[in-house]
Formats: sequence, C-alpha cells, structure tokens
Amino acid sequence: MTNLSLIQRQVIESPLNTRLFVSGSAGTGKTTTGIERLRYLLEQGVPADSILMLTPQRTMQEPYLELLFSPERHAGGEVTSATIGGLAKRMSDLFWPMAVEAAGFKNRDQPPVFLTLETAQYYMAYLVRPLLEQGYFQSLTIDRNRLYSQILDNLNKAAVVGFSYTEIGSRMDAAWFGDPGQRRIYQDAQECATLFREFCLDHNLLDFSLQLEIFSNILWPLEQVQNFLKQTYRHLIYDNVEEDAPRAHDIIGEWLADFDSALLIYDNDAGYRYFLGGDAVTGHALREACDKKIEFAESFVSSENIIQLSDTLVSAITHQESENGNPNNTLEFILAHYYPEMLDKIIARIKLLIEQEGVPPAEIVILAPYLSDALRFSITHRLDQAGIPSRTHRPSRSLRDEAGSQSLLILSALAHPHWKVHPTKFDVTHAFMFALNTDLIRAQLLTEIVYRQKDLRLSSFDEIKPEIQERITYLLGQKYTNLRNWLNDYREQTPLPLDFFMRKLFGEVLSQPDHGFHRNADAIRVAASLIESIKKFRYSTESSFISNPAFDLGKEYIAMLEDGVIAAQYLESWRTENKDTVLVAPAHTFLLMNHPVTVQFWLDPGSSGWVQRLSQPLTHPYVLSRHWESGRMWMDTDEVEAETESLARLASGLLSRCREKLFLALADLGETGFEQRGTLLRAFQKVIQEHES
Amino acid sequence: MTPTFTPRPSQQNILRYTGGRLGIAAVPGAGKTHILSALAAQIIHSGVLQDDQEVLIVTLVNSAVDNFENRIKSFFDNKIQALYKYRVRTLHGLAHDIVREKPASVGLENQFGIIDEREADSIRHEVVIAWLASHSLDDYLDPVLDTSKRDWVKRQQLPILVDALASAFIRSSKDRLLTPDSLRAKLDTFFAPLPLAELGWSIYADYQRALAYRGAVDFDDLIRLALTLLQNDEEYLERLRFRYPFILEDEAQDSSATQQKILGLLSGGSSSSPVGRGQGEGGNWVRVGDPNQAIFETFTTADPDLLREFIRTNPNADMPESGRSQPAVIALANHLIDWVMTAHPDPNVRTALSLPHIEPVPTGYEPLNPLDNPDGIKLVSKKFTPEEEIIAVVKSLKNWLPENLNSTVAVLSYRNDHAVRVVEELRKNNIEVVEMLKSTTNTRAAAGSLNHLLSYLADPQSTRKLSKAYEVFRRDWRYRGVGNGELESGENNPELMKTVTDIVQRLVHVEKFIAPSQTDDWLSTIGESEAESVIEELKEFRVNVQRWLNAVTLPIDQLVLTLAQDVFSESADLALAHKLALVLRQVANDHTDWRLPELTSELAVIAKNERKFIGFSSDDSGFDPERHRGKVVVTTMHKAKGMEWDLVYIMSVNSYDFPSNMPSDRFISEKWFVRSGLNLEAEALAQLTALESNSEYDGYEEGVATMQSRLGYVKERLRLLYVGITRAKKDLIVTWNSGRQGEATPSLALSELIGWWEGR
Repeated sequence: MTNLSLIQRQVIESPLNTRLFVSGSAGTGKTTTGIERLRYLLEQGVPADSILMLTPQRTMQEPYLELLFSPERHAGGEVTSATIGGLAKRMSDLFWPMAVEAAGFKNRDQPPVFLTLETAQYYMAYLVRPLLEQGYFQSLTIDRNRLYSQILDNLNKAAVVGFSYTEIGSRMDAAWFGDPGQRRIYQDAQECATLFREFCLDHNLLDFSLQLEIFSNILWPLEQVQNFLKQTYRHLIYDNVEEDAPRAHDIIGEWLADFDSALLIYDNDAGYRYFLGGDAVTGHALREACDKKIEFAESFVSSENIIQLSDTLVSAITHQESENGNPNNTLEFILAHYYPEMLDKIIARIKLLIEQEGVPPAEIVILAPYLSDALRFSITHRLDQAGIPSRTHRPSRSLRDEAGSQSLLILSALAHPHWKVHPTKFDVTHAFMFALNTDLIRAQLLTEIVYRQKDLRLSSFDEIKPEIQERITYLLGQKYTNLRNWLNDYREQTPLPLDFFMRKLFGEVLSQPDHGFHRNADAIRVAASLIESIKKFRYSTESSFISNPAFDLGKEYIAMLEDGVIAAQYLESWRTENKDTVLVAPAHTFLLMNHPVTVQFWLDPGSSGWVQRLSQPLTHPYVLSRHWESGRMWMDTDEVEAETESLARLASGLLSRCREKLFLALADLGETGFEQRGTLLRAFQKVIQEHES
Repeated sequence: MTPTFTPRPSQQNILRYTGGRLGIAAVPGAGKTHILSALAAQIIHSGVLQDDQEVLIVTLVNSAVDNFENRIKSFFDNKIQALYKYRVRTLHGLAHDIVREKPASVGLENQFGIIDEREADSIRHEVVIAWLASHSLDDYLDPVLDTSKRDWVKRQQLPILVDALASAFIRSSKDRLLTPDSLRAKLDTFFAPLPLAELGWSIYADYQRALAYRGAVDFDDLIRLALTLLQNDEEYLERLRFRYPFILEDEAQDSSATQQKILGLLSGGSSSSPVGRGQGEGGNWVRVGDPNQAIFETFTTADPDLLREFIRTNPNADMPESGRSQPAVIALANHLIDWVMTAHPDPNVRTALSLPHIEPVPTGYEPLNPLDNPDGIKLVSKKFTPEEEIIAVVKSLKNWLPENLNSTVAVLSYRNDHAVRVVEELRKNNIEVVEMLKSTTNTRAAAGSLNHLLSYLADPQSTRKLSKAYEVFRRDWRYRGVGNGELESGENNPELMKTVTDIVQRLVHVEKFIAPSQTDDWLSTIGESEAESVIEELKEFRVNVQRWLNAVTLPIDQLVLTLAQDVFSESADLALAHKLALVLRQVANDHTDWRLPELTSELAVIAKNERKFIGFSSDDSGFDPERHRGKVVVTTMHKAKGMEWDLVYIMSVNSYDFPSNMPSDRFISEKWFVRSGLNLEAEALAQLTALESNSEYDGYEEGVATMQSRLGYVKERLRLLYVGITRAKKDLIVTWNSGRQGEATPSLALSELIGWWEGR
C-alpha cells in the first residue's frame, strides 16, 4: 500500500456511494487501484456477493484473481467476476421461461442448450457443409473451419454491437468495391447466418450471439430481471472498459445509477479488441454517467528512455516529426542471418540477463506477431535446455495432437467396431506405446502380430511364438492381455456414450500402475480436457439429434476431430503455472494480459504480421461497428489509416508495459526463409537513422 | 560508386537514363544484370527517392534475385545507404507482396497458403483421372485405331495428354483472369459447342475447388489476383506507384502479357497506352531483354513480340557488345540471325530472330573476348543414330578432358530424358558428371538426413535404417572429416564410425540395444569384444535414439525440430529444418490421414529435388559453371540460359527436335493416336480464345491452331539453338542424329550453318 500515489489512495478510499471513472494510459496504476479498491470494499464490510467485477474478457481478470482467491476472503460469499457474455448466459438460464417465447424458440417446454465455441462451430459446419457442395462461397479461398468461424463471428458482432443479424450481408456488401466476382459471398454469408440462427431456435440451442441477444434485448428490459440484478449487485468494478463492446456499455450505462458505488477503469490508448467488437468510443461515453472523473498521468512502469523511444517510434509509424532521443540505451538489436541462429542468440541473451544482470524470469517476455506451433516449440525447448523456466499462453500442440488424446481415440475406435473406423497399424502402435507405457520398437513388434486392420481383430498374446513373446517381454504381454480382455468384454456390451467409455477405460486400465496415464499429470489433464470436450459435445447434440438413429456420438465426434472442427483448441494451462517464468506470447495476447515487464524481446520486426489485418474475407470490424456510416465504402485509404493507427497503438501499448529495455531480434531470412521488411521494421529503421544523422 | 566498373559506350548511354520509359535490346553476354544493378545504384545515389520509396527490380528466377542483391550492394561503400531502397523480386514474389497486403479483397484469408508446383500437379492429376473415369474423349481419337490399341491409349496416353492440356488450359485461363464462374458463363452463351473448352473448364473448376478447400492458391493465382487487385483498387495502386517510383525489369523477353500489365499499371498507364494518370504519369519503367532468347513462352502468353513492340514504341537503346565468345562463335550466331531473318524457307518463321548482331567488346574496355579460333567450331554433318551420337560425344569428351582440366564444358541436350542417357554413358566411362539441378545440395543434404531419421522412426525394428540414422547422427564427421572435441583421437573417427555402422547393421534384435530390459542389455554382451571407444559411441547414440523414439508422437513439425536440434550444427541446416518442419506440418494438415511413413516419403521427394522449394533464395544462388572445371556439366538448353562454358556440345539438332515447318516435319505435340494430327492442347487454347472474343467472325475453326502452334514451336526452337550456340566461349561442337524412327534429317538451320561455315 505504501507505493500508492495520493490520487490512487483517493480513488481507493472514496466513499461507498460514489461512481468513479478513472482513465489513463497503460502503466499508470489503474488496475492496481482497481484491485486495492476491491480490497478496500471488502475491508469495509461490503458483502463479497454484492460486488460485481466486470471485464470484457476473462484473461483480464487475472490480476484480480489472486485477491479473490486468497483464503481469508471467503466470508460473506464470493465476488462475482464475470464478463457481459457470462452474465448473459447465467441470466438466459435463470430466466429461460421468460425468454423462450419472445426469442422464438420452438420447444418451449424444453431447457436451453448452451453452445461452446466448439459446439457452435460444429453446428455451423453441419449446416454449411452441404451448401459448400452446392457452390456457396466459390470465389473464396479459405480453410473451411475459418469460414465457419467467420460466419459465427459475424453473428457475434451483430449481437455485441447491437444490430440485427439479418443486416450482416447488406452492411458488408454496401462497403465493398472491387472485383464483382467476389460480391456473392456476402449474400451466402447472410444465408448461412440466418440458417444457423433458425436451426438454433428450432432446437433450443444458444450460441454466444443468441445468449447475448436474449439478455440484452429481451431479459434486460424486463423489470423482474433488472430488479434481480440490481438487488444482487450493489457495487461494480469494471476494468478495461475501452475493450468492451457497445451492448455491454449500453447495459452498464442504464444500470450505473442503481449501483451504490462503481469504479470504471478506462485505458486511453488501448482498444485492442476492436476486431472482436470492442468499442472504446461507446466505452468512453460512460464517463458522463459517473460522479467523478479522474485522470492518471504518471507512469509507474516505463522509464523515461522507454517513453521517449515509444514516442519516437509512434511518430515514425505515423509519419510525424518528433524530437529525437538516443535509442541506444533502451534498444538493442539481435541480428542473425538464419532464424534458429537468432533464437539461440535470444536465449543466450536471456541467460545473461537472468544470471548476470539479475533480471527475474517473470520480468522477461518474448513477443512475436504470430507464434507458429513450431516456433513456440523451438523457443520453449531452447529455454528448457538452457534451464530457464518458461510459460506460454498455450502449449504448442492442440488437444487432438496430444499423444494422450491420440491414444484414447484410437482405443475408442478399437472398442467400437460398428463405427467402421479402422486405425492403421501405425496408429495402433503409437496407441499401445503410450497406453501400455512401452517403447516404440516393442509396441510395433506387438502390433504387427496381434492387430488386423481389416476387421479390428486383436489376437491373443498366448498365440505368439515363444521367442517373439520373449522379445516383446512377458510384462508387456500381460498389460496387453489385460487391455485386450477389457476391450473384448466391452465389445460384448451395449456401447456407452463416448465420454463414459473413456472415463471407464481411463479408470480401469490406463491409469493403473505402469500405464501411460499413471501419475502423469500432463496426460491426465489432457484426458480430462478431452472427456470434457466430448461431454459438452454430447450435451449439445442430444436435443437436436436424439431422434436420429443414424447419429452416433462417438463416430461423429471422431469425424469432426479429423476435420479439425473440434478439439482443435488448446489446453489452457498458463493460468495455473509458476509465475516466475519467461513468458512467450503473441504480441496481441500479451497486451490483453495486464502484465508489465522489465525487458521485452520482439521477434521479427520485419514481419507483416505486426500490422493487424482488419479485413477478413467475410467479416470486418469497422464496417460492422456502430460508427460506420451506412453505405460508405471501405477504401484503401481507410485501411492504411486504420492499420497505421492500430500498429501505433500496438507499439505504444507494448512499450507502456515495458520498464527498461527492448530487444529487437531480426534474422535476414525469416521463419519461412523469406526476407522481411514490414512497416514496423521500417519505422525502427527511421528511428535509428534519424538518430545517427 | 566503385571505380572498377567502367561502362562501355553502349552502357554509358543507358546510364544517362533519368526517367520515363526505356526499352533495351541486349545480346547474350552483354551484362544485363550488371547494367541494371548500376542503374539502380545510380538512382539511389542520386537521392531522388523519398522515405518509403524503393527501386523495384523484377527478374525471372529466384537465383537472379540474389545476384542482383549482391551486385547492387557492391556499388555502396556504406551498405546502410542502400538499405530498403530497392527491392528485387520475381514476378511471383512481387505478386505475393501485392496480394499479401490485401488478401481479403480478393477472397483470401490472412494466412493463405501457396501450393507449390508439385502439389498443384498432383491435385490436377487426381482431377484429370476422375474426369477421364466419367467422360470420353473418343471423338478426338484416330478412328482407325483398333480396340486393343484404343484401350491402351486410353489407359496409358490419355491421362498424360489430358493432364498437359488441362495444365495449359488452367494457366491460360488464369492469365486471362477467367475464373471457373466467368468461364462457365461464357460457355453457356457461346453459339457453338466447344468440347475441349468444356473439358478444360470442368477440370479447372474441380481443381480450384480443391485449392479452396485447402485455403491455398497456386503460383498462377497469385499473379492473377495481384492483377485483379491493381485493376480494382485505385487507391492501392496509387500507393504502390508511390512506393515504386522506378521499375527495372530484367529478362523482359520472357515477360507474359499479365506481367506486362502488372508492371504497366505499377509504373503508370498500361503498356499499350503509355499515357498514365496522376502521380505515375510517364512512368519510369526500364525493360531489358533479348528477344532472341525468348524460350519460356510455351503454355504462357509470353511472346518476344511484346518486348519488341515496347522497344519500338518507346525510347530505346541497344546493348550489342558481348565479351563472352570468341569471334568465330559470334560470327556463327550472327549468321543464324541473318539466315532466319532473310532466307528461312518459311517466310512466317523469319521473325523468330531479330537484330542487333552481337559485337565484340571495343578495345580499351573489359572484358576481352577470347581469341579468334575458327578451328574451335565443329559442325558435324555425319549421320548418327541417337545411341551413336551419345557415344561419339562421350568419346570426344574423353579425349578433350585430360588436356583441359582447368576448363569448363557442358553438354546441352534438349530433353531431360535424353540428358539422363548422356549422363549414364558418361558415368559408364568413369567421367565425372555434374547434373545441373534446380535446388541446392544444401536443401537436399539436410532433407536427406532428416529423411533417414524419419524413415527409421517409421520402421524402428530395421537395423539397416538404424545404421543410416547413425550415419546421420555423425554426419559432421563425414562432411568435415574432423572429430568433435570430446573424442581424443579425431583421426580415428571415420574408422570408429565405420566400425559402429557395421556393428549396428549386424544387430539382430534392435530392441535389445535401444530399449534393453534391465537383465538383457545387448551392449553389455559385446563389451568384451569391442574397444571402449566403440561402446561409448554406441551408448551416446543410444541415448539419442531413445529420445527420438519418445518424440515420435509429437506433431510432425515438432518431431522434425527435435531431430534437427540433435543432428544439425550448421545454422543453415537448422534454418532449413525449421522451414521443412513448417512445410511438412502444412502437408500433414492437408492430408489428415497421412502418418510418418507418408510424410517421410514426402520429405524424400523434397530431398530428391522434385519439389520446388520456395524461399531461402540467397542459398539458392544458382549454378556457377566455374565451380566445375574439368568435369562435364549435363543440362538442357533451357536451363543453360544465362551461363557460359569454354566448350559446349549441342546435340540432336535434327528435323524432329528443331523442325523448320516443312511438310515432311513431324511434331512432338501432334499425337499419332489423335485424329487429323490435331494438337489438342493448342486446339483447347484456341477454343478458349474463341470464347473470349465472343464474335462469330473470330470463332473457332478446328486445325488452325494446330498449324499456328507449329509455327510458334519452330520459332522457339530456332531461338533455343541460338541460345545454345551463344553459351560457348571458345569451342562449340554441334551434332545431330536420325531420331528414334531413323527418319530424321539434319535440321535445316544446321545444314545452313554447315554450308556457310565450310564456304567461309
């Protein structure tokens, strides 16, 4: 508490009946103030369950969680930490009977089925795939799964911005110019969005967009709902207001006067979630509804030199003149011809920072515009070898690529011959290797003898010639025999739902001593996530496909997996990990983590990936925003202006989370072997040239 | 500017350029790259470029990119001066730059993929097979074929023919900016049936669907989309015009109509109507090329007449001086120009070659031409069978090589399969051969090593593969012949390696070595009979293999990276491995049913170079004949472009490979099993052209295109011969053979050159 400034103290200790709007740049201590205000409220005896802690996305609550989860805070219920989306889901569930008719659902006596991102994607694929065969979106070159997610994205944008989903196509179309051959795709996109919405209404399915629309358009206007919410929550802390979407701002705007106290925190220079519908302008308008407006000006994070570097860099990006500081103290280049060479140099430099200069690993971050799995793996692997602890916001493998998942899925196919999924010997070898905790050579030897792909037959270990048995080892033979017996027994019975099956297999065989999942915490987490994914899939499909006898949950799940529609997501593990570690993250992810550090490494400043591409083939953050003038075309000038602005915002945002030093790591030949010279690199070049001249 | 470069008068003339358009006709060996580099450097030095402006240099192949980079840099003492002031790109690279900035405008997602030629070929091939399974091309087959022959043709020949036809059709459609949709619309409204265009459309549509499914485009799409973008987005075009105030184009004779349109737009105004708009008015566009060396036009709309036309209608200059060849070679090449222009029996062929003549470098300037030596030229009139011709050339080389160990020599063949036979014969005679290959040995060695490791991991019981893996593990010993510091006696390493390789090969049960149980470790059983260093070596290897075996469940990209970390030490190899990891990951994503064995064979393909490996251009700095003195380089005339050797053999200059459009000539693209000797590829393209015109007067008439295509082919062959001749610095030997059927005669051009040479 002693480090707090006077103005921070004033905010924290304001009376319990004031509504405050705190604004300032990153690094001026706003979130710290928010946390301390929360602590203050609790210390003043405000019941925890009357406090609503709101952020636009869950990762932003990270700094608050330590306080919320500390054991001494448990008295008096819990603080509700939520996003508007989360609130919408809870309210839709709670007040379902009041929404069901107004929203136009078909089955009014049935409960709602909430879709996750993954299951929504599944239904979109289910509906759109046949249309693709008919020639929809023919002029588009796009991965199918990204096509589905862009249509979902449009529905979500309509909901968070607050326009009807039926206007998506016409809005996009009106802003489009160029190759007329492209034009039809917006009509197609509209049709698919409509089809999806109708299907949801027919089957009581609620994707994110429908949850939010029900809450904001149907439930929120009801007195009963308002009364419930207003009675439950008396105090509001709303951080990163600038990143939230207009509908969230609308609701808070109407609600604000009814809170006893409120603290709204607004970052003047941010607005990084605009491509997800975030809208700083509507956020800023909430200022007017607050009793007090306080501006934080002094940075607690960045050194003078960093601030100067940030100013010069932003001027260079935006083509403005600037006073020139000496960047040499704050900026250091790491140059290499080849990419891996560059990675080695970065690791060496980090080692030096930690061992010689006393920088704690948690104060170091490695940022790249885009982290391929291979790059993520290369960096974390190198850090590992150098004995430097590291974390990353997700692992370098998707859930379905994990050896544990693979093994479970292959064994599932073996247990369910009626799926007619016949894994190759190669796959079965790997499944045995993992499940039976053996080496690849013996696993292969065993599989080649006992497994027949044609009819999924698993023959007995006893039938094998003794000398081969000996090579395979009797121990492995015993484990195999157990597994085989278990599978054969299961095949005799009525099949279980896939998640039940996996639980059983896991519990009765694979988690036993000397098996792959035994005391293997990572693998257990993988198994749990996979089973959870299947369970959600089952929940969401039960209502719509239960009457269809041809639908087999397990078979369908595996097919979707192969297609990359589901389980392509990653385990979220960084939250629970040790914090004194070097963080490896994409630049935009880092921005949304509220996590200042001493040293930043930027990889590939020449990459064009630093400039966030605004346009997507099917969706557009500006055209679908609240401020877009209807009928205006999105021209190249708009694009350049918006991209320049977003790059400037990114650069200053990153540097305002940097205390002392920036390293730029640059290889002549980028990751894929090409020379790179994007806008950011050119801006740095100007910074340096101007200083030298 | 560095003082070593003293421009010749013709070059000085070019260096006076300050702006506007300029067309330059240069002869072989005139120093095109050098003068364009000097010009770029001069523009940068002059200070006319603003912030964010670059001189754009467009060239034909990746290997030239690096060449330009190095030359331009050599003009600057302080490299920073030139940093980001110029950009060297192939047309594909440029198109990629253009599209990558605004992918969504042309229906691409941000991370769109690019499918390389091999993947494109295999996708198209699948589509073709599917098409043939449900369609018939019987109308076009020779009706006199009996049933069994007809079946054989359908099975063996049609897939190849239709594939080539489809490839040309798709390229040409893309070049004309026709999408399957727009093409369909034209077909539906055309007044007459066009069966070949229907075929082409059907395969094109399925092919594009397959690409879209992968979220990727092919190389031709890149160019098509770049042009589409430039044509539709004026503001973007203006922005690019500002960025590239000067465009210098090399090898402009091979420029397609699309390339010309793109550069025309970028430089301000299209090439046909040089009046530009706004900032780009009177655009600065310098085009250098040699219309006589246009040999890449097959299947594209490239046409040397485009460059000729540009030179004719704009300010222009010649670069006629070349220091490459001795006067006798120059005289021969110049005579070929004269004869073609004035006396070729088919008047339509006379535009194949054009002036200027090649002139030697004037006294007082560098480089000096080799000394005149008429005896260096041997035009062999003797009739050989194809086999005899190869034997004769090999024999000649056998005599020549021992006396000329410090000289360079190439055998130029015109088809790959012929080149392969030459290589075989040379090897049979123990003559060292260098096959000129597309990508570098670096790529191949690194990919090959990884391939061996992955092969083992896909089949871990194999001792043969394990011993290969061991050799990869110690590849540094082999390549460098030096030991790593940990081993005492570095000189014994090759021996140690051999011993260990042998031991591993003799292993009976791999698992007893690699994954021993506590009681049964094979290593402890050989402990007594083998030296300690051998045991230590085996132990070290085992630790690595165990790690690799455990890594086998990783996704392919991460597996490759893990292996590479263990076996590669060179940065270049590691960088390649990283790139290979990304490529294989993409392959795995495109083929979800592929596992290690399939991915390994994909890597084998890369290792064998069948797959064009884009990127790493600076390691792919092309082929340098000077590095292969005393060895025989075997290549095709197409690939020999831009290179020179002391002695050059040109083979197979007969009436079949170098026809003259005489009634007796036979043409490779007119298949014996196709009725009326039609060239179906040419006919298909003609149907496409007819669709575009959409007027009954330039409708499609069967057979016309076949004849026109003969003419184009004849002309291109003559230029190819000219390119071949002008590769020779001192000596040139030209031979011919009677062809596979024994009916071929010497090419008319060869007979003419022989007659003229003997009469001199």
